Amino acid sequence: VRTLAKRVRVSAFLAAVIVAFPPATLRAADGVTAITGARIVTVSGPVIEKGTVVIAGGKIAAVGADAIVPPGATVIDGAGQTVYPGLVDGLTTLGLTEIGSVAGSVDVAETGDVNPHAKAWIAVNAHSELLPVARANGLTAALAAPSGGLVSGQSALIRMAGTTPDALTLKQPVAMHVVYPSGRPQPDPSRPDEPDLKTFEERQKEKKKNQQKDLRRLANLLEEAKAYGELLRSGGPAKPDLPMESLAPVARGEVPMVIRADAEDDIRGAVAFAAEHGVKLIIAGGLEAWRCADVLKERDVPVLMNVERLPARESDRYDAAYANAAKLRAAGVRFAIVSDDASQSRNLPYEAAMARAYGLPADAAIRAITLSPAEIFGMADRIGSLAPGKDADLFMATGDIMDARVSVTHVFIDGVTQSLETRHTRLYREFKDRP
Amino acid sequence: VNARTRSAIGAVFALSAITAVAAADAPIAIVGGTILTVGPQGTIEKGTVVIRDGKIAAVGKGVSAPAGATVIDATGRFVMPGIIDCHSHTAIEADVNECSDSITAEVRIADVIDHRDVNIYRELAGGVTTINVLHGSCNTIGGQNAVVKMRWGKPPEELIFKEAPRGIKFALGENVKRSNYHPPGAAPRFPATRMGVEAVLREAFEEARAYKKEWHDYEAKAGSAADKPLPPRRNLRLEVLRDILDGKVLVHAHCYRADEILMLIRVAEEFGFKIRTFQHVLEGYKVASEIARHGAGASTFSDWWAYKMEAWDAIPYNAAILAAHGVKVSMNSDSDELARRLYWEAAKAVKYGGVSEAEALKMVTLNPAWQLGIDARVGSIEVGKDADIAIFSAHPFAPDTRVETTLVDGVVYFDRARDAAGTPMKAAP
Repeated sequence: VRTLAKRVRVSAFLAAVIVAFPPATLRAADGVTAITGARIVTVSGPVIEKGTVVIAGGKIAAVGADAIVPPGATVIDGAGQTVYPGLVDGLTTLGLTEIGSVAGSVDVAETGDVNPHAKAWIAVNAHSELLPVARANGLTAALAAPSGGLVSGQSALIRMAGTTPDALTLKQPVAMHVVYPSGRPQPDPSRPDEPDLKTFEERQKEKKKNQQKDLRRLANLLEEAKAYGELLRSGGPAKPDLPMESLAPVARGEVPMVIRADAEDDIRGAVAFAAEHGVKLIIAGGLEAWRCADVLKERDVPVLMNVERLPARESDRYDAAYANAAKLRAAGVRFAIVSDDASQSRNLPYEAAMARAYGLPADAAIRAITLSPAEIFGMADRIGSLAPGKDADLFMATGDIMDARVSVTHVFIDGVTQSLETRHTRLYREFKDRP
Repeated sequence: VNARTRSAIGAVFALSAITAVAAADAPIAIVGGTILTVGPQGTIEKGTVVIRDGKIAAVGKGVSAPAGATVIDATGRFVMPGIIDCHSHTAIEADVNECSDSITAEVRIADVIDHRDVNIYRELAGGVTTINVLHGSCNTIGGQNAVVKMRWGKPPEELIFKEAPRGIKFALGENVKRSNYHPPGAAPRFPATRMGVEAVLREAFEEARAYKKEWHDYEAKAGSAADKPLPPRRNLRLEVLRDILDGKVLVHAHCYRADEILMLIRVAEEFGFKIRTFQHVLEGYKVASEIARHGAGASTFSDWWAYKMEAWDAIPYNAAILAAHGVKVSMNSDSDELARRLYWEAAKAVKYGGVSEAEALKMVTLNPAWQLGIDARVGSIEVGKDADIAIFSAHPFAPDTRVETTLVDGVVYFDRARDAAGTPMKAAP
């Protein structure tokens, strides 16, 4: 039985290698790497306490306790270490920003309110110093998303390796990004110092009114885009309209719309809006998502949330944001834990750790920063877990990646070993022994 | 109603219904936990901490709970000194900075403490027991700090850590020269460069020297002369600067770049005073020896970077390099949110630069205590020190860990089990 099982495994491996390689390149185990004796957190399957991961042709060829190391493979001893699929940060401005306060280095938000034709994959800087820093802590992919205004633009899923925007881009567009209208009144420039003497109720009413106005604007844009899309199909419009062209697949429900909303009312408003207009919705932020888990579950709306935030309301329990993820999981709402940042993206595993400390099981926590975002972005066939046939985007660490003491020792993207050198390690070397 | 009863009532309000507080006079024994003393006793497995009258009365493995003690079972848990955040803006609402002038040494954080700020409670839930409440960084000499104990539910004057030495906030660099923020309608204000910042400091202390001399001369005359000389006019601003010259006020200086750190050391040494802490000090690692030689501490972020030009060379190895050069380092939050997880900020020093776990723990306890001049009172679990203690569900550096109970002066101000029954979100009136 054992031999048979082994034979089955070997042929499964060969099948995987054959899939991965065109036959002409199958001569030897060229470019094949095997990590052996490591703890393997596959995410899509059970944790393998001691096993082997085989990487061939940029793909994961085999994963298992008894996976065979192909002859000639480069072997990395993983004893005492843990292998994970590369982390996926589901909401960042990576590649679009370098130094926050230096305008010349920031390409996050366009001017004006409606910029559906602003595309992140045009402007992601492959040479950003922030990418290697994120990568050195296990991050291999991130959603690079524009922000600001009402319709901010389109996001791309980028990977943390490559020398051009095209090489970086895994998928585009991933989503159209929208900011749920705040309802804050526009200041009246003719009366800058007019004191606000409105009552709370008056202000709330005004806020709702302003929000409805902006939502109508968004709805009109979608209607217009739908019509424009139909015009495109039936011979084309008289003159191209780039914003409409970008919005048309969103209006048809083909490309999801990410709406940034934190407050319960806003999240419910976004869900209702999406349902009414046939939009495929993803919520970003979601500070109070736990308060509307019912509608999020009912409409199957996933949430991109960061964990380490203060509660929305003074009367909330102190851990409302920490426990958000566990509550969403219990309610059956899909979610990814994200950094919602760029320079802090390397701390993504600690966001997940905090959710774990406040009730999210460990397997769900790692899933929330790997497979879950991959699923939400329709990329689960390629990234997010350690399974044969998937892209070899993975890393190895000295222990539990959610432990802030633990270090990453190897990172592979597309099967290629990545440097762990960063701006930070270079400066460290330069100054650590300065007398 | 005497003071003790009053404070007990306040605490009861703050914690809904708590039995531990009702027995304020009874000793407390924390038993069965792993005690990370951060003191000479190191780590004690299955140890006991005995608290009497708000102070630590006994610590050890063989120590047994006194008769009648309120027992806190910490079996399987980790007991550590309360966390100290050396850079906070909690409990002052919007009153962070008096930006109108380059020197506002006379203003005091203690005057604007908002004891109802719910972040006091939220930070207790992250094991924080003492915070250094500072001004913002929009002017060179911002004002006097307040060291606050997190006695949630007490009035402002009872939050102040009365035994803490006086302190003041200085600021250098981009925020002072207003590189990134121009208040709408505000007139331009000197300085606009790092050259100007130095000039402001130098002029300020020249004036302070003159003021000191004026008073010195007056006092010399007043003591002997028969004719009564008129005293100089009291100047609240210069009085504080004079006290800095006299070493009576700890200087906490917000800074980023190596050059401005060296500049401040030079100015301070020329005028004969010390910088107690460099705050943020993100390029401190480039001039670690100079900081060590001056004798200042460094209170830094674990890994913030790239948010502005002067944070571009910030590296997460900063704490490790400074510590290796003999500088007392603390990890601070500068944030109501980050303050709740400083224990993981400390853990990062182990990852970045290989600081020992014992040394890393000091970065959120004993080192910030020293930086604030309160290390004789707090910062470690030692007999005679204040019973400011955080009890964690697992090692504070572990990924599953959570604060279960926090005590200040031997009073339970946060308890997760009780919080579940209803968060005491409002401080007592």
